[in-house]
Amino acid sequence: MLMCSIRKGMRRNERGLLLLVLACEVLLLGNVASAQIYLPAAPPEQPSDYGKVILDNSSAAGGPGAVVFDHWLHRSKFTCRLCHVDIGFAMQAKATGITADTNRRGFHCGACHDGRKSHDGKIIFASCSDAGKDERCARCHSLGKTGVRKYAYRSYTAKFPKGVYGVDWEAAEESGAIRPVDFLEGVSVKRTPLQSREDFSVTAHYSWVPDIGFSHKKHSVWNGCEVCHPDIFPTTKKGTIHYSMFLNIAGRYCGACHGKVAFPLNNCQRCHPSAPIWATRDRPTSARPE
Amino acid sequence: MNKTTFVVLALILTFCGHTAAQTGIKKKRPLPYEYGRVIINNYSEKTNLAPVVFEHWIHRAKFTCRVCHVDIGFAMKAGATDIRAADNARGYYCGACHNGKTLSEGKTVFESCSRNVAAKDAKTCERCHSLGKTVKTDYDFFSFSQPLPKERFGNGLDWEKSEELGLIKPVSFLAGVSIQRRSLSLQNDFTLNPTVAGMPGIIFSHKKHTVWNGCELCHPEIFVGVKRGTVKYTMVDNFQGKFCGACHNTVAFPLTDCQRCHSMPVQP
Amino acid sequence: MFKAKIITVLLFIGLAGLRGMRANQGPSLPAQQAAPAQEAWQKEFDEVCSKTQDAMTFSPEELAALIQRCDTLLPQIEKLDDTRKKVYMGRLRRCRGLYAYVLDSKRNEKK
Repeated sequence: MLMCSIRKGMRRNERGLLLLVLACEVLLLGNVASAQIYLPAAPPEQPSDYGKVILDNSSAAGGPGAVVFDHWLHRSKFTCRLCHVDIGFAMQAKATGITADTNRRGFHCGACHDGRKSHDGKIIFASCSDAGKDERCARCHSLGKTGVRKYAYRSYTAKFPKGVYGVDWEAAEESGAIRPVDFLEGVSVKRTPLQSREDFSVTAHYSWVPDIGFSHKKHSVWNGCEVCHPDIFPTTKKGTIHYSMFLNIAGRYCGACHGKVAFPLNNCQRCHPSAPIWATRDRPTSARPE
Repeated sequence: MNKTTFVVLALILTFCGHTAAQTGIKKKRPLPYEYGRVIINNYSEKTNLAPVVFEHWIHRAKFTCRVCHVDIGFAMKAGATDIRAADNARGYYCGACHNGKTLSEGKTVFESCSRNVAAKDAKTCERCHSLGKTVKTDYDFFSFSQPLPKERFGNGLDWEKSEELGLIKPVSFLAGVSIQRRSLSLQNDFTLNPTVAGMPGIIFSHKKHTVWNGCELCHPEIFVGVKRGTVKYTMVDNFQGKFCGACHNTVAFPLTDCQRCHSMPVQP
Repeated sequence: MFKAKIITVLLFIGLAGLRGMRANQGPSLPAQQAAPAQEAWQKEFDEVCSKTQDAMTFSPEELAALIQRCDTLLPQIEKLDDTRKKVYMGRLRRCRGLYAYVLDSKRNEKK
């Protein structure tokens, strides 16, 4: 109808009507965008696919192919802080600027994958090493290839406690099944840890949404301060930024981790403890009071 | 405004909205050899040269901040100095040292923007006008930084400790440019208390800052307040490049290294 | 004759010593590049702005006098060629700015 009116040409009052319609459209969509009508989509069916990062910077023909990075393997061994603060990885695919050259020089993946450092008594293989043959490259550049990865999700996480969706990483650490390392010799710098900030509750923007309980303590155990501040959560006065669900789903603020690597956003009760049971898209297998 | 433009504009307004802003995501962190890099492009591209890539790490190892920013007169924002080839050729700005005659550590410093370079010898210009080009330099970050004590963030180096240990010797007087001054009477260190409860207090060391900066670099352009407590230095301002962020965002150790400043025990 | 030789040797040692001291001050200009005779305004600039280190020790009257000298220099610098004008305007701005800043803070202290 809109395009018809434009093509036929408009008289003054028709143009006025068009203006009104467009204004309403802008207001409505703007409202939808900032409102919490938008619900998070379900995460991938297989928890093994959750947290998978495809790094496809230089996938030109003849190159080694795209890299597949699985978070589940690395987060069982290291804290978020170690990779994202000390080593300096960005939190979006391709934003870090990793190249074979930077790896060889001991940055990024090469901070550990240098053929010299060891973990759990085993030497960590060198990444982008000139000496490697094609099979070695395929260890990471494994998109579309089968039988090249050393660790399989199912067997590796078999003994870890499970939650609603995949591994319950907090419980895994509490039980001692995983012991994430927070210090890497030659990369990390020892610091007096900053005192943990308090937990607090955030009143939702809309009155019909249950309050959010945020635990600084739980977040800073694995993240320190620098993972979130100031890039993800700028240090503005509380209440000045509206951390809407729309933005979270778009991968900003809480969504920088939750929805990509940390527990997905569709499990409402993890953050909104008093959310009704029907609000959770996946039925929980165990009650999770916060 | 014609109808099509109006419709297009309305559609853009409808869908743009939230995607424009940049907060809430982790930014790319410059690699140690990239930190402190300044791209200068006031006139380069207009004259068919690549923009200039200035690396702070090699210069700060040899000179104090004051020599360049006060004595030679460089501004502290890319492009703000308005350097022209003519200025360099006359021996000002870059040309204060890069004149083919000055010696540094026994070597002649190469000439910048020489009038004697023919157009065909564009390679000489690429030594500085190198954005997007692979240029062989005399100094390599890895061999340079290897013996220096390490820190986190920024260049990954502890510059202060490097000087303490005598591994770098930044010079604070440039003959023919700097004015002979008596040595500075040291200013006192003092504490700053954050307004956010639970954040450790800040110890600000005037001594450490004046050793390399003198007074004029910070006062009054960066720090205007004459009475302590009148100006609130919020972290938001700092991250936007004001106050402490004038240096501690791009050249000195970055503000993400909280404990370097917030080093006092938390007040109950 | 002998006296003349002694004096020559002593002068030589003295000059050599001075040369050594300057080497610690970083990049040196070769002998033929030694700074040309300074113009009057440049001498004044060097004199006024060499005292920034001691700004905190001056009285308000001394600071006001220094600021006045900076202001007198300004029109002279404005008459220079583009390059030198740009360079020295920036340097003068920082120098005068510091004196004004310290003067302000001293006046504030008195309040």
